[in-house]
Amino acid sequence: MIFLRRQVPLLITLITGLVFAAQYYVPHPASEQMLTSVTKWLQIIGGFALVLGVSSLFHVHAIKIRRKEAGWGYSFVLYVSMLGTIAVGLWSNGKEAVDGAMTSFGWIYNFMMVPLQGTMFAILAFFIASAAYRSFRARSREAAVLLIAAVIVMMGRVPLGEYLIPLSGDLSQWILNVLNASVRRAILIGVSLGTVALSIKIIFGMERSYLGGGKE
Amino acid sequence: MTFAERMLKIDRRIIFLVIGLCTLLPLLYPVGLPIKISPEVRGVYDYIESLPEGSVFLLSLDFDPASKPELHPQSISLLRHAFRKNLRVVAMTLWVSGTGMADQVVTQVAREMGKENGKDYVFLGWSPGGTAVIMNMGQDLYGAFPADYNGKPTKGLPVLQGIANLRDVNYAVSLGAGNPGVEAWYVFGKDKYKFELGGGCTGVMAPGLYPLLRSGQINGLIGGLRGAAEYETLIGQKGKAIAGMDAQSATHLAIIVLVILCNLFYFSLRRQSKQQGHSGL
Repeated sequence: MIFLRRQVPLLITLITGLVFAAQYYVPHPASEQMLTSVTKWLQIIGGFALVLGVSSLFHVHAIKIRRKEAGWGYSFVLYVSMLGTIAVGLWSNGKEAVDGAMTSFGWIYNFMMVPLQGTMFAILAFFIASAAYRSFRARSREAAVLLIAAVIVMMGRVPLGEYLIPLSGDLSQWILNVLNASVRRAILIGVSLGTVALSIKIIFGMERSYLGGGKE
Repeated sequence: MTFAERMLKIDRRIIFLVIGLCTLLPLLYPVGLPIKISPEVRGVYDYIESLPEGSVFLLSLDFDPASKPELHPQSISLLRHAFRKNLRVVAMTLWVSGTGMADQVVTQVAREMGKENGKDYVFLGWSPGGTAVIMNMGQDLYGAFPADYNGKPTKGLPVLQGIANLRDVNYAVSLGAGNPGVEAWYVFGKDKYKFELGGGCTGVMAPGLYPLLRSGQINGLIGGLRGAAEYETLIGQKGKAIAGMDAQSATHLAIIVLVILCNLFYFSLRRQSKQQGHSGL
């Protein structure tokens, strides 16, 4: 059993990891054909992952409802909404509109999902303003630098700011293009090197946490 | 309790009210301040402008309704520009929750510009796999999307004539609100399949994409509502983005004033406590 649960996945990871790292540099038709097949597998696996995610969500919330845990009412709402949407979606063949006419699934999408998600995102503006008022203080030199940069960028990104302080637009562009881009790039390079190191560790079996922590 | 202390502990509903009014009033009474065009947005516009008629323009609408206020105006402007230039438009999404919205925007603009589905444009819809879809399209477009959103087989569609994979795309723009989005299109698409790539994103995401822009990995970036307003200005068709810029100007200014006030009160409190400390000694 250990052979199937440990050695086989490690072997598959080693072979596929090395083969597909090399594949990137081999433009031979056979190599490209192999990549084509594997990307199709990936898409199919992606579809299964969706099914797995939905069933896992159902499972977690079913337990909450059965045990009547704190906030089980929200789980019930989730269950009803999800089952209702799936049923309506199947009924409408997954289409929001047919020949320009809105289906019931389209109605749910347009008049429930779109406004709900929009509202959630719009509320952010109010909370950001409130949080900025309460916590954006120049407590240290670093915080002061951050505060000044934020004010310049906020001014430079809107027409009124550029109208009141014409230099704010160019200053904001400079902050974004020079200071921000260089720091972001440094972080990106660090993250990328870390990813390469982790990939090598996974390919050669040094990092095995992805296999899960089951008993051997 | 001193005045500064009281002001620092102000009821947050007052701040909410200020922000609400700053959003609402400019929408009701627009001012229409001029919008300066940034080189990032001009990069996308100029590239589309330089494409000859019939070139393949891929638009990936990688966002959901939460980012609609910022990315919807961007999609409308880009589609209007591409259709006006008579480009062959291939639209799709990598976000399942954005499929309906993407279909609506493509259909709406195409109808407005008098374009025919299957001949001038196609909406491929969504396919599972996230970044794997990009790779799959890079290898074989028809393998990734055997049928379009309406169920028509993609093979044989006049709009896709001569397109086998992403290598045949002249220009691609991803309007991304997260992952998969602009970065994924660069890493899994442009880097291997060598097509020109531009990006569009929400305002909060824009600073994170500047390294890609500065290194030429993307040739332009439309950032947030401001970017959309710039694009609307460039194509000369005012839309929701330009209308929203006054509201954004007012809210930005309100937040700046709030931050300055909070710091004034904070420093006055600090000075008071220092003075008290000295007198106590």
